[in-house]
Amino acid sequence: MRARLLQKRRLCTLNHQQQQQQQQQQQQKPCRRRPVTQVTKPNFAQSLQTLKAQIASADYIAVSTCKTGSFASPWRRVLPFLDTADTAYFKSKHAAERFQVLQFAVCPFTVSESKVAAHPYNFHLFPRDELNVGIPPSYSFSCQTSYLTNMAREGFDFNSCIYDGISYLSRVQETFAKNRLGKPLGGIYPMKSSSTHSVADSLFLERIKSRVRNWMNACKDKKESEGPEDGLVRSLRKLILGVELHGSRPCMIIDVCNERQVQLVLEMLSKFSSDLVPLVIPGKGGEPQAVRVVLASSEEDKNLLERELQDVEDEEIRKIRGFREVIDAISSSQKPIVAFDCLHEFTFIHSKFVAPLPHCRNDFMCSLRMVFPHILDVNHLLKEIGPLKKAGNVPAAFAHLKRRFFIPIDMEIPHQAPDDESDSHGHRVLLTVNLFAKLSSILKTTHADLADFPDKNAESLERYMNIFTPSSIGLQEQPEEENVWMNETARVSTEDLVFIWGFKHGMPAEQLKSCLCGTHDVFSEYFDVRLADKSCAILVFWKPGLAKILLDAMDSGSVGCDSLRELVSEGLKASGYEAYKRVCSLGLWETDLADSLDRSLTEQLQECNMDADCGKKAMEVYWSSDSINLDEL
Amino acid sequence: MKAWRLIRALSLSFSVAPKTPTSRSFCSSSRTSSPKIFSVKKITRKNFNSALSDLRRQVREADFLSVDLEMTGVTTAPWRESFVFDRLDILYLKIKDSVENFAAVQFGVCPFRWDASKDSFIAYPYTFYIFPRKELQFDAPVYEFLCQTASMEFLAKYQFDFNACIREGISYLSRAQEATALSRLNSSNQDKESSNEGWRLKEGGDAELVSIADILFTERMKERISQWRNSLLTNTKGVQSEENSNDSNSKFLTVFFKMRPSIRLDGFTSHQHKLIQQVIRKHFKDLAYVRTVDDNSLKQKLLVYTDSDEDRRLLTKEVKTDLCKGAELKLNAAVGFRHVVDLLSSEGKLVVGHNCFLDIAHIYNKFIGPLPSTVEEFATLVNKVFPFIIDTKYLLKADNVIKNLMKRNSTSLSSAFLYLCPQFASLPSSPLLPMQSSVKVEVQVDDMSSSDWNSGTKHEAGYDAIMTGCVFAQVCSHLGVDFKSCSPSEGLIHNEKLQKYLNYVYISGQDGAIIDLKSGKQFPEPFDLYDRLRQRNTVVFQNIVLLWGFHSNFKPKDMKECLTKVFGLGSVTSVYYLDETAAFVQFSKEELVSDFLALKETLEKANDVISVVHPLAKLLEGGKTRAAPYEVYKEICSSSTSRILFAEQAETVNGQRKIWKVEFEHKSGSEESCDEMQSTSRHHLPFELIDACTAGSQ
Repeated sequence: MRARLLQKRRLCTLNHQQQQQQQQQQQQKPCRRRPVTQVTKPNFAQSLQTLKAQIASADYIAVSTCKTGSFASPWRRVLPFLDTADTAYFKSKHAAERFQVLQFAVCPFTVSESKVAAHPYNFHLFPRDELNVGIPPSYSFSCQTSYLTNMAREGFDFNSCIYDGISYLSRVQETFAKNRLGKPLGGIYPMKSSSTHSVADSLFLERIKSRVRNWMNACKDKKESEGPEDGLVRSLRKLILGVELHGSRPCMIIDVCNERQVQLVLEMLSKFSSDLVPLVIPGKGGEPQAVRVVLASSEEDKNLLERELQDVEDEEIRKIRGFREVIDAISSSQKPIVAFDCLHEFTFIHSKFVAPLPHCRNDFMCSLRMVFPHILDVNHLLKEIGPLKKAGNVPAAFAHLKRRFFIPIDMEIPHQAPDDESDSHGHRVLLTVNLFAKLSSILKTTHADLADFPDKNAESLERYMNIFTPSSIGLQEQPEEENVWMNETARVSTEDLVFIWGFKHGMPAEQLKSCLCGTHDVFSEYFDVRLADKSCAILVFWKPGLAKILLDAMDSGSVGCDSLRELVSEGLKASGYEAYKRVCSLGLWETDLADSLDRSLTEQLQECNMDADCGKKAMEVYWSSDSINLDEL
Repeated sequence: MKAWRLIRALSLSFSVAPKTPTSRSFCSSSRTSSPKIFSVKKITRKNFNSALSDLRRQVREADFLSVDLEMTGVTTAPWRESFVFDRLDILYLKIKDSVENFAAVQFGVCPFRWDASKDSFIAYPYTFYIFPRKELQFDAPVYEFLCQTASMEFLAKYQFDFNACIREGISYLSRAQEATALSRLNSSNQDKESSNEGWRLKEGGDAELVSIADILFTERMKERISQWRNSLLTNTKGVQSEENSNDSNSKFLTVFFKMRPSIRLDGFTSHQHKLIQQVIRKHFKDLAYVRTVDDNSLKQKLLVYTDSDEDRRLLTKEVKTDLCKGAELKLNAAVGFRHVVDLLSSEGKLVVGHNCFLDIAHIYNKFIGPLPSTVEEFATLVNKVFPFIIDTKYLLKADNVIKNLMKRNSTSLSSAFLYLCPQFASLPSSPLLPMQSSVKVEVQVDDMSSSDWNSGTKHEAGYDAIMTGCVFAQVCSHLGVDFKSCSPSEGLIHNEKLQKYLNYVYISGQDGAIIDLKSGKQFPEPFDLYDRLRQRNTVVFQNIVLLWGFHSNFKPKDMKECLTKVFGLGSVTSVYYLDETAAFVQFSKEELVSDFLALKETLEKANDVISVVHPLAKLLEGGKTRAAPYEVYKEICSSSTSRILFAEQAETVNGQRKIWKVEFEHKSGSEESCDEMQSTSRHHLPFELIDACTAGSQ
């Protein structure tokens, strides 16, 4: 019923022609998903052009990526009951460095009232060493088989991705690659005004000058004689005079030993003749090796040549940057970016397209803000309208919202992808757009102050900007458990958490709790047990101080507590939150959290690797409302 | 029994006319110089089972088998490639790191059978697409593997079908994985039993019905269930008729489960299921809530009526055994491709590979169990699984006859194949290889019309396997091995002429690194004159210093110059860069190593004029240059992390070493024996890394 209603509504807003079109389409493909332009190497340049224009006219840009994996074992996911902002960052960082982005969906969109105009693109990426300079975007990357299997189930074409995926280099890699490739155009070389010449310089200059003069004369002679020249004569001429061709124009190579000589040659050439265009040829290490002088026949010809060279350089840059041009376009537009699970997405984006991830979360946030000043996390918006238990991924959140609110959103996608293309990939970005449109309209109606800005959506959402709320549940949902935890938002200091492990693998939380009850006085107070994974559990003491008592008791060998002593002799171990923080910051990622904690305990590291503010002060784990706020910086 | 038709003969001297029109393309192409000369059967999980039964027979009858693997990568970092300066134990560590990180995606197997009547080998090349899909729920949490970008591109270059691999690849479990899965399965069954009892105890402590909706739902279910149950009790004759009169309750269709009336609980949410369970526990002692898996392996939840407590116990038992059986069947299916490896191992046939140490290590790691920490242990374990292995690369280099034949040709598989077996490539045979000595090989194609058969390409596992087999057969013939006299039961493994080549395998691309799989010891390469001339310097590991963290502009010649200035002209035997951040320096004498390390330390501590003008100053520039003896290199290689640059890797490991050292001191504590140990066995003690950073700041 509702669907039909919605449809009706939508049709009303469209003009007659569109209506007909749409009806036809609906008749032809009743269950067709919304079209997303799929972009691979062949249509990249063209799509980039249209996308740039659409970005310029959009209100927001939604992004969503498809990766080869996220968290390698259950506890390495960002868990809201376990992670502070810092540990969440470390976990995301680890994942971002390990896995690869294979699909990157970008969707510039505008919102007015309930109408959304969206232009979705899905780019297929592969980190190929496109330039063959030994700087692949990534030397290797990890794959989780379950992720690949899921992608395969959705019909993802791995062959086309690996054969035809677009490559890229991050900003940092680009500078590196440019150094290695050298600078192709002479014009880039800064011309310093002449300084005093030494005797050696003068000698060098005189020698070069006479060579250039001879060469130019020879070229002119040739032009005058204009006779047909066979290959033998040409190669002989080349041997004797050093005449070579750059394209159709004659050129000459002048060997240089250092930057100084380059300067001298460029300076001399600019005075010598206006028809000469110098090109600096770099050696393997990036230092200049030679100067290639190209002779243009006239002023116009020279301009033409310079334009050609500029084109070559642009092409080269496009080749170097590849997909990153999209990122740069998004970044320079300064438009607000909308994404789901932003911490996870943007650690990936930062590490693949900007620079390696810094060790500290604050540095990451600063660095990210320089590139993307306005980020809107849909997770955070979802939290704003009330606690959602099961909004771990976009479809789930979407379904949930649909049940709770009736907000018709009219999605219009003016650009239609060709019919024969598979358009099912990257549709998640459209769900994100839809979700965002719904959420912003809910937020506007519930918060009166926002309604004052009916036109400027971006401004009205300023208060939600740059706050990341990690989503708790990844692809696979956890088996249902009695969930006492999420019912209300509670904060627990990390000082009141105790990690215990060494119990029987896979023991249920309740059983563990009943095992612990009565073994020590602290357990007579109310406490909670939650499994981080099958090997390790977290005890939460709601009364401060008890955690420390328990840890001390266990450290001292549990004197006077026979039943606790019994458990310890059975192998039970415990530690405070410090050990866990160390696990995350040092990257002691084992499959079982218990193994990681054991490593953390045995490897008592000096503080040197620890960041100063990741130090001793107790932080709060936000119970079910953990957010990272960029504006706190 | 499938009718195997001979489709084409692959030697010039032997050719069979096509018997059916389906084979036309192959005949027409046989005379062209196209390198695609063998058909290879492509196996995915669709046709795996039928292929396996064929393969069983073919392996049993085979004289030898050739194998080849394609992986998603080889090295996790550039410096993990094998170098001249790598000792055997280090080469093994590098192989181990590779094997543990990368996945095998194609497994080529090709049984070769000598057919006396045709005077030819019959080959059955298979390319199995394998993919470590997670098939079991109760297994290790996540399967993950690494892809080396360059290797993926390499595979793509040879038209590797990634879609076939990921979508249709055959999954597998190693023997070790199967064992843990089995024990987990058993323990989880036990758990279920105990937790079931625990349930009974806490029956009173059900979650309270919070919302009105829950209460209403519970009441409705109670009513419906009791209706259904009453209908069963009152109308024992006609359950069916009862159902007809009550068709509004579409959810409650009576079905029979293990001869008992039951209802299927479809279309409820998990929360509703919980509520239903609660209702059953509270109000219906004669109904049982059963979770089961039906024939289509779909999960089912049922309410089953039981006559008595006795009947109920019986039912529980039946369901449990069903579940166990189902899980065991699944486990057996999950073993998947390992059945092939088990088959290869159990038949005890001669296994031939080309440069196959990495392949063997992959096979062991993926299908048998985790790799042991030392190469000696590994050799013993492999010897148990595959007692007879021949590396054709070794074969090509070890025998002088063959060596003369090969002259200075590359011993890479494709060039050896083209050179030794020109008859298959339809190239004019080399004058050195008289025609009569060329061995004939035929590929038998069962059903040419099937899309499973494709003409193989280089670097497809099955195609590489058949090439390896052809090279092996050809070399055997040059060695004078008489295939006719070899009965399949005796096999080539007892052939006298092959004995001295058995189980000698090249461990890596490096010359000279050959391992004897019988003992796990390194085996000196049989050099001839060419090689001896090529072999410049022998590597003496005690004389080597490992340097890293120096300035990136510091080139090998600078390094040599700078060191010879201090230690004399002949002091540096060689300088070898691992990557741009690290180098090996081999000194002429062992003492020079400690001299250098000591000098470096004093220079860094001194920080005065002399240290600035000292010839070594350039090397130490920047204060990040570190140096260590060769043993440290092993430690760095054995780390499970892999940073791209060696200097980064060394620093990461260095961080962990510090911890280790603290621990070591802590453990040895007041024990006097510590000094003693230091003096006697210098090599086995941890070496202190000279930390330029901290030294500089002092």
